[in-house]
Amino acid sequence: MIYNVTHTTTLFYSNLVRLARFNLRLRPIDWPGQTITEYRLDVSPAPADIRQKSSPWLANETRLTLRDPITRLSITSRFRARVQPPAFDRAQAPSPSIAQVRAMAMNWPAVGPGSPASYLFASPIAAIWPGEIGAWGRQWLADDTPVMQGAMALMRALHEEFTFDAASTSPDLPPIEAFRARRGVCQDFTHVMICALRAIGLPAAYVSGYLRTIPPPGMPRLVGADMMHAWVALWCGPDLGWVGLDPTNATLATTDHIVVAMGRDYGDVAPLDGVFHGGAGQTMTVSADVEPVEEEAV
Amino acid sequence: MPRSRALPAAPDWLSSYQPSGAASDLYAAASPQTAAHWHTMARGLAALGDQSGGVQEQIARQIRDMGLTFRVAGDEAERDWPLTPMPLIIGGEEWGAIEAGVIQRADLLERLIGDIYGHGQLVAKRHLPAPILTGSPYFARKMPGMAPPSGHWLHVCAMDLTRGPDGQWCVLSDRVRLATGIGYALENRLAFSRATGSLLGDIHARRQAGFFSALREGLARDCQRDRPRIALLTPGRLNQSYSEQAHLARYLGFPLVEGRDLVVNQDRLFVRTIAGPKRVDALWRWIDTNALDPLSFDVRSTLGVPDLMATLPGGAVVANWPGAEVVESRAMAMQMERLCPLLLGQSALLKSVPGWWCGQDGALAHAKKHLDDLLIAPAFGSAEGLGRQPVVGASLTPERRAALLAAMRQRPMDYVVQTLLALGQTPTLVEQQLVPRPFSLRVFAARDGQGRWKVMPGGFARILPGDDETPALIGTGDLSADVCIADVQKQSSIGHTMLDAPGVVRGGAILASQSADNLFWFTRYAERTEFTLRLLRALLGGSIEADASAHQAGVGGVLINLLHAGGAVRAQGMSEATLDICADALTEGDLPGGIPSLIRQLQNTGRALRQRFARDFWLIASRPMPALRDHHPQTMLEVIEELLERLSALSGLIAENMMRGPAHAFIDMGRRIERALSICRVTRGLQASGQEGLNVLLELCDSQITYRSRYLSGAAPLQVLDLVLLDPDNPRSLAFQVEALVQRISGLPPLDDRNLPEQTLLDARAILAPLQAQAIADVDSGTLHAIEIQLLSLSDRISERYFLPNETVAPRQQGALLS
Repeated sequence: MIYNVTHTTTLFYSNLVRLARFNLRLRPIDWPGQTITEYRLDVSPAPADIRQKSSPWLANETRLTLRDPITRLSITSRFRARVQPPAFDRAQAPSPSIAQVRAMAMNWPAVGPGSPASYLFASPIAAIWPGEIGAWGRQWLADDTPVMQGAMALMRALHEEFTFDAASTSPDLPPIEAFRARRGVCQDFTHVMICALRAIGLPAAYVSGYLRTIPPPGMPRLVGADMMHAWVALWCGPDLGWVGLDPTNATLATTDHIVVAMGRDYGDVAPLDGVFHGGAGQTMTVSADVEPVEEEAV
Repeated sequence: MPRSRALPAAPDWLSSYQPSGAASDLYAAASPQTAAHWHTMARGLAALGDQSGGVQEQIARQIRDMGLTFRVAGDEAERDWPLTPMPLIIGGEEWGAIEAGVIQRADLLERLIGDIYGHGQLVAKRHLPAPILTGSPYFARKMPGMAPPSGHWLHVCAMDLTRGPDGQWCVLSDRVRLATGIGYALENRLAFSRATGSLLGDIHARRQAGFFSALREGLARDCQRDRPRIALLTPGRLNQSYSEQAHLARYLGFPLVEGRDLVVNQDRLFVRTIAGPKRVDALWRWIDTNALDPLSFDVRSTLGVPDLMATLPGGAVVANWPGAEVVESRAMAMQMERLCPLLLGQSALLKSVPGWWCGQDGALAHAKKHLDDLLIAPAFGSAEGLGRQPVVGASLTPERRAALLAAMRQRPMDYVVQTLLALGQTPTLVEQQLVPRPFSLRVFAARDGQGRWKVMPGGFARILPGDDETPALIGTGDLSADVCIADVQKQSSIGHTMLDAPGVVRGGAILASQSADNLFWFTRYAERTEFTLRLLRALLGGSIEADASAHQAGVGGVLINLLHAGGAVRAQGMSEATLDICADALTEGDLPGGIPSLIRQLQNTGRALRQRFARDFWLIASRPMPALRDHHPQTMLEVIEELLERLSALSGLIAENMMRGPAHAFIDMGRRIERALSICRVTRGLQASGQEGLNVLLELCDSQITYRSRYLSGAAPLQVLDLVLLDPDNPRSLAFQVEALVQRISGLPPLDDRNLPEQTLLDARAILAPLQAQAIADVDSGTLHAIEIQLLSLSDRISERYFLPNETVAPRQQGALLS
């Protein structure tokens, strides 16, 4: 599949904001099966400085520095993504047991953002304690269960037991609250699932990205299009590697999902954060368009 | 006169001492020469005790004089520092071995950190399991690939040691994140040496000053400028160890700064001062890496400096290097002995307590088999079934044991198990008797001017009431003691704690913008409190003397209006009885301009200024609000008088004890602006209220006595107003306040060298000029109102020019993820 993606964020401030410095994490990373071309970032008003920074996670981080006072900032990220289906169906592939994956992850000799060792522990938002989420998730995650089978059962259970509720979120909502309410948005579904997987010692990551806007003919429209989306990546041993599981839609992430960044939780890959001078109420509008392009038209 | 020698007949407390374990007891296992020092010390302390109220009491007095306090985690109140008289005494020879072990371990930590953030060979070659890094909350993932230009990852580090049952010293934990205790070690020595005269000299105790000079030189050596500015970066006044940090900064001559005092410009680091930004070369940080730079680490942190990381490649020194603290975990401590030969090519001189990280092969099975004989602890911060606290296997109930083992099977990487270790013991004075008590000793090492490690001779001793080891620096019931390294031969005889004296200097220290802000607002709150108290006193006085209803309609009404304008009375409360209004203003905590809120703000601001003021000052300022027994006018007046007395005592201390410099200028400016505003407001309110109004005006402006001695007649409008507004010699007049403002502002350092008056000065002069040029008959209510507005705008200008702008964390992109 080939997509043209346009993502525009506009920030409004009720008072003048001085020396604003933002980190953007909008340019998609390289990911197996995914090729990004024609990337373009437009920022208005033009920042005094735009620098590429190294991110400790799988993310492209851009630092904007605005020295002149602003009351409004508009950021548009555009690119073309080609997404190829995986060589085999990972849902059907044989996978190692949960105990085996745990042991392999603990012994993996690397600490970088692609290493399973980086995703074994509690992170600032996706805490493991209190253990309620772990206790709930354990019913599908016995030590001898093949890891794909267990993870997909957990994903489906989340999808069935939880209500999608766009009215109930803030980016820093602790997953435990979404869990107790049994409702939330893609980010909450993703955090809850990460907590459940990590609670039994599996390496689980948070992926931010996009979902195709217009469904293929005859297929239902997926929830989360028109916005940035989030799902889980689970490391399933060296053969399967990182597998995307989307609990909001109870599906594996394949050609409908475009990966932007991967980290431990939302905080590591937030599309935008930063600091500025001046106490100012911030409001924001966001629009994202993920348009499939006919292969012939390219 | 050496007192200890003068009284040889004093009892020797050690003669009846019963050590519990001979090899691990500091006294029982001491060499004969060191044991002799123990006896000299014990007799000396006993002799001091004979002289005046017990040695314990003398030390307690020193502690109070020095203002040494601490806070237990979760406690609001500060407690006096629990220094026990009997020091730990360690012989020079034994200490030599400890010193060598500590230096070796510091080198090992340095190499280890260098590999973790450098080539990563230990992990890649499977000498170090990756989760021991990724599990640490202190693993700084931004740091790999960024090495310190100075070559030093560590400048200051510490190790907690004890003497094991076999008499060998062993390491309990490593500390590279914070050198907590280093300041208390210094303070313990100061208090102990002041209370005990020549005793330290009598046992040939080594001095500590050299260590602190070395620490300073070691930081300076790695800076790029010859006379570098090294600042101590504190998380702020609410931090548990703030008083330690403030004391250290003062002792070392480092400015004490918070993150918001600092700013990064063009990849260089500056401190914001009243004379503009000043370059900072090095930071001794007392905050976690995670909080250091919100743009690189945790964006929600408000303690750090945005973009601080950008200053590192250019040579800014941050000690210790960000991320160094990753080596602090229990899981890592258990790898040290094994890593030592790999990294240094030699075996470890200091042993660690034997232990296993449960993520490694076979450790879990071992733990299960020997659980009763092991301590189970979180490998990093906390672990399911334990929280943050370690637990002894044998103490577990069968249910808890089963639950813990199940949790350990699922997340083995969160746990370590450790052989149980009894701490060493030291003779401790308890009710005039020496008894053995378990101790741990924190030993500090710092790089010196040649970049080599120097170990503080002594350290921070924590003495526990029982055998349980908790991770706090000091907890409830714990004691602390000085630590003496005693040589057989006497060392040089210079003072025990003085740093090498620098050349004579006067003033000159920088005044950080934030301190200026606090100074300014401290006196503004003090003055506002005083003025509100005077209004209440006038209101209460009137209600006793005059017919209450008539009073309320006239002058009393004006006073109530003024109280309302200041936020001490609510709009709906204005029609209440006078006594109720006063009682509310004196007791209600949620009235923004009520006395309790004003005092709270005064104390909050004052807390940040502690290191600037003497102990007496802080004692008065921090005293709680006196309780109001009943709402009787006389009771209320007594409380008001007491508070007014305290405020005037504070003013007196400022006037008499404070150095005249920029800090004093700001403290005076705060008072002058606030008082000038009050005079304008009260005059506008009362000048039309006849004779009674004028009398109250004189009272509020504390000018009755001057007036009566100057004029024999009763209060007459022009005479009163001239005294209160224009008389430049009346320290309570408006003109006097504004003139003082002009003087203070003109004495402040300029931003540049063009020598033109700054806008703040021009504004202040513009307020003063008409007061000097007009006759009292020309000053009307409109003039006063205009002055009031000018004063408020002057206050804003002062804030803009000298204080800090507010930094805001941009909320993370909300609404972008509504899927």
